[in-house]
Amino acid sequence: MQRYLASLLFLAAVLHAQDPGSRTAVIEKERDAKAAKLEPDEVSPAEKRLRMFKDGKYLERLAAGYNGLRVKIGNMVTGGGFAIGPEYFREDLLRGRLTTRASAQFSTRGYQKYEAQAILPRLANGKISLEGIGSHRNYASLQYYGTGPQRPKDLRTNYRLEDTSVDGILAVEPRRGVKFGASLGYLWTNVGPGNDKRFASAETVFSPSVAPGIDEQANFLRNGFFAQYDNRDDPLGMAKSGGNYVVQYSWFHDQRNDRLGFRRLDIELQKFIPFLNKTRVIALRAKTTLTATDDDGQIPFYLQPILGGSDDLRGYRFFRFSDRNSMVMNAEYRWEIFSGLDGAIFADAGKVFPRRGMLNFHDLESSAGFGLRFNAHNATFMRLDLAFSQEGVQLWIKFNDIFLSRRFGTSTGQPVY
Amino acid sequence: MKHVFVLLSLACAALAQPKFYPDDPLDREPAPRNVDKVLNRKLSDYYDLFSHQFGKTGERQPKTGPPIPARAVNTLGEPMDGAWYVKRHYYRRMSPEELKRGPGGKNPPAGAKWTVVGAKSEGITPGFTILDEKKQRYFIKFDPLSNPEIATAADSITSRFFYALGYHVPENYIVFFRPEQLELGPDVQLADATGKKRKMTNRDIYEILVKVPKTKDGRYRATASRGIEGKPVGPPRYYGTRKDDPNDIVPHEHRRDLRGLHVFSAWLNHDDSRSINNYDSLVREDGRQFLRHYLLDFGSTLGSASQKANSPRSGAYFFGWKSSARQLFTLGLAPPYWAFANYEKYPSLGLFEGDVFNPEFWVAEYPNPAFLNRLPDDEFWAAKQVMDFSDDDIRAIVSTGLLSDPKAAEYLVQALIKRRDKIGKAYFSKVLPFDRFRLDADGALVWDDLSNSVKDTRIAWFAFDNATGARTPASGPSPWAVAEITAASLPKQSVHVFVRSGTIVGLDRTW
Repeated sequence: MQRYLASLLFLAAVLHAQDPGSRTAVIEKERDAKAAKLEPDEVSPAEKRLRMFKDGKYLERLAAGYNGLRVKIGNMVTGGGFAIGPEYFREDLLRGRLTTRASAQFSTRGYQKYEAQAILPRLANGKISLEGIGSHRNYASLQYYGTGPQRPKDLRTNYRLEDTSVDGILAVEPRRGVKFGASLGYLWTNVGPGNDKRFASAETVFSPSVAPGIDEQANFLRNGFFAQYDNRDDPLGMAKSGGNYVVQYSWFHDQRNDRLGFRRLDIELQKFIPFLNKTRVIALRAKTTLTATDDDGQIPFYLQPILGGSDDLRGYRFFRFSDRNSMVMNAEYRWEIFSGLDGAIFADAGKVFPRRGMLNFHDLESSAGFGLRFNAHNATFMRLDLAFSQEGVQLWIKFNDIFLSRRFGTSTGQPVY
Repeated sequence: MKHVFVLLSLACAALAQPKFYPDDPLDREPAPRNVDKVLNRKLSDYYDLFSHQFGKTGERQPKTGPPIPARAVNTLGEPMDGAWYVKRHYYRRMSPEELKRGPGGKNPPAGAKWTVVGAKSEGITPGFTILDEKKQRYFIKFDPLSNPEIATAADSITSRFFYALGYHVPENYIVFFRPEQLELGPDVQLADATGKKRKMTNRDIYEILVKVPKTKDGRYRATASRGIEGKPVGPPRYYGTRKDDPNDIVPHEHRRDLRGLHVFSAWLNHDDSRSINNYDSLVREDGRQFLRHYLLDFGSTLGSASQKANSPRSGAYFFGWKSSARQLFTLGLAPPYWAFANYEKYPSLGLFEGDVFNPEFWVAEYPNPAFLNRLPDDEFWAAKQVMDFSDDDIRAIVSTGLLSDPKAAEYLVQALIKRRDKIGKAYFSKVLPFDRFRLDADGALVWDDLSNSVKDTRIAWFAFDNATGARTPASGPSPWAVAEITAASLPKQSVHVFVRSGTIVGLDRTW
């Protein structure tokens, strides 16, 4: 019995000694335990690498290049394949008043594009901009189905387009969103046999009466003016409200024999109707290109308005339709899936037509489909569109916004941009 | 055998720690240990995003079984004053002047000339670091051209709310200055967008000022955030503890002051409440070095996203598997609740409202382990503080945003009032909303019903054995007693109030 009592007293004493006796002591005990195993609070290797990647500004450095020299990827005409090449880009010249760019690109389909551009974007406190641009393009196998709306799709041919141009563009922005401008330039063109052996070369199928200019070279002096009213909420990114309305009129003066000169009117109207706090948007676009010639004049087939492809009639192959005039309407319902992805359901309708009097809603080609818009920093960096039409299904993977405006000036009057 | 049983019984009784110690409840954390070596490490915001969005950080509440209660609290369930938190407005009512003053109020940049000693020109958030004439360091941050006043007002207002709510925050001042007031310091380096450094020039100052709005009288409005005392050592996370801080003993996901921060963040729309917007500073006080933990960068609160109005989806995760699938497969025909909000068009406020706001649905930009671990008593702890701000208190703090449009200021006040009331309604119904327990002159237990709505309360007294935790029906005066308070209208909820010799020492809430 005595032995048990002694054990009991001993145990009680030991356990009592472990009781900290106060809340403060409990906390101190926990601190003691922590202090006994302190170690540097290092981040994991994965986190360290991610931080170094961001702090190293590799993407920014890649985009900025080395002393202005960087790699340019993409931005080739649709169907040209993957394009890459060097670009020299500076926007810090004349204390930031002058932006210059020069690039040379080559694509997997043998296309070449060379461009040089200089812009004074902020003259007169930003109200005036002056731009000079020169380019040389050598596209080895552009598609051509013949001029006119009813050309069958198995009449696909190809041709080579080689052209050189210089243009100057003066734009005035008297108030935010309102822009007027004029442009003047010169265009040298040359067409030749296409090098895509899967299809006939255009000149072997189409006569000059169907495809004007297919048998001769032409040079053009071109001038024009444009006006824009833009009240989109994000003109450079993914607009969700407002509208963009552009009118542009251009003259193409044939400098060789005066038969291929023409006038061209481009009108583009965009309207974005948001609802539910801009998480849903109805995006609408209507655009038309109307041309006119003198009595017996003709429009070179490679300068005719075209339709079909990822940016207008998405259920058709690119360059599927061409004629003297075109019109197209697009409607998209876009909705936010999560903050980096929007869904879209769309419908396109349009046509090409020989006479301006046929600008109406009859005989429209149409397509419809759905798509996904991947975005970051409120701009679409990639879109997938799956489109259906009576000519089949087209899947487009593009790195632009379908309604993103092209730059102004006569150079944009060229359909094969 | 009988003796062994007795022995084990006694041993168990002795092993059980008492529920209360003589020094309970602690009002302050014990004095911190001295911190010798602490690593100044940076966190990756990408890693923070991806690890929280797609991984499982910290210890989460179990799916079954008893939940993990909040820690870093005293026996009354209140966080102790210390390196993370200080009891303020709810506990010791602050006057309107104190609320407006916030953490400082006496140290705006001094003098007619400020020396620019650093700058950030790249990106969309340009700013300066200056030294005033007293050589005090300030970070100067601006509003975007599209939304004058939006970020500076949010920074000023929210920092004062968080200060009154008990957190350590920097001193933020709204300042107005003319370019002539800035003087470029010698050999100031400027990093461009690619990180390349070069000597800064006056032209760079001009280039930064071109990107920010001016007031009608030609001055620039900015937030001057006074440099926090001590040495920066990188932000704390919302989970785990710092391995090099002996005072950091409670996993952050279980700290009541961080779990409850969810409710405060919902109120003030601090959806950017992530690790890199926190700040640890190694400070020295009373001869000891220790880490103090700050909340920072409130320019993206209320209706602001710092450089533009906030997204309407603020209060929802960037990404969620279920919500994304729902939106994808319904073609957007089942919009989330927040899409139905109506916002007044005040450029200085951005997108902020109180009608559609639902504190139960509000979340930060991506999952936060401390926020996700919150329990009804954590929410109640926070909600009681939110509800303690009177309309006039809110109006006083909003006035520090110096919004030039009085309608915008009043709209913000009303939105905060609506959000406050919704928080009270949501979280006062999950536990018995009783607080401020005390014994009156007759020794009777009294308390405040914070909801003013609970009827039919009942109180039952028990004797309490502090060593074993056993309760027995009270048969007479006892040095230890526990009162069980229930209400017929809320039958699953109760509050247990522990009394030691006429002093309330502990609270337990059940739900």
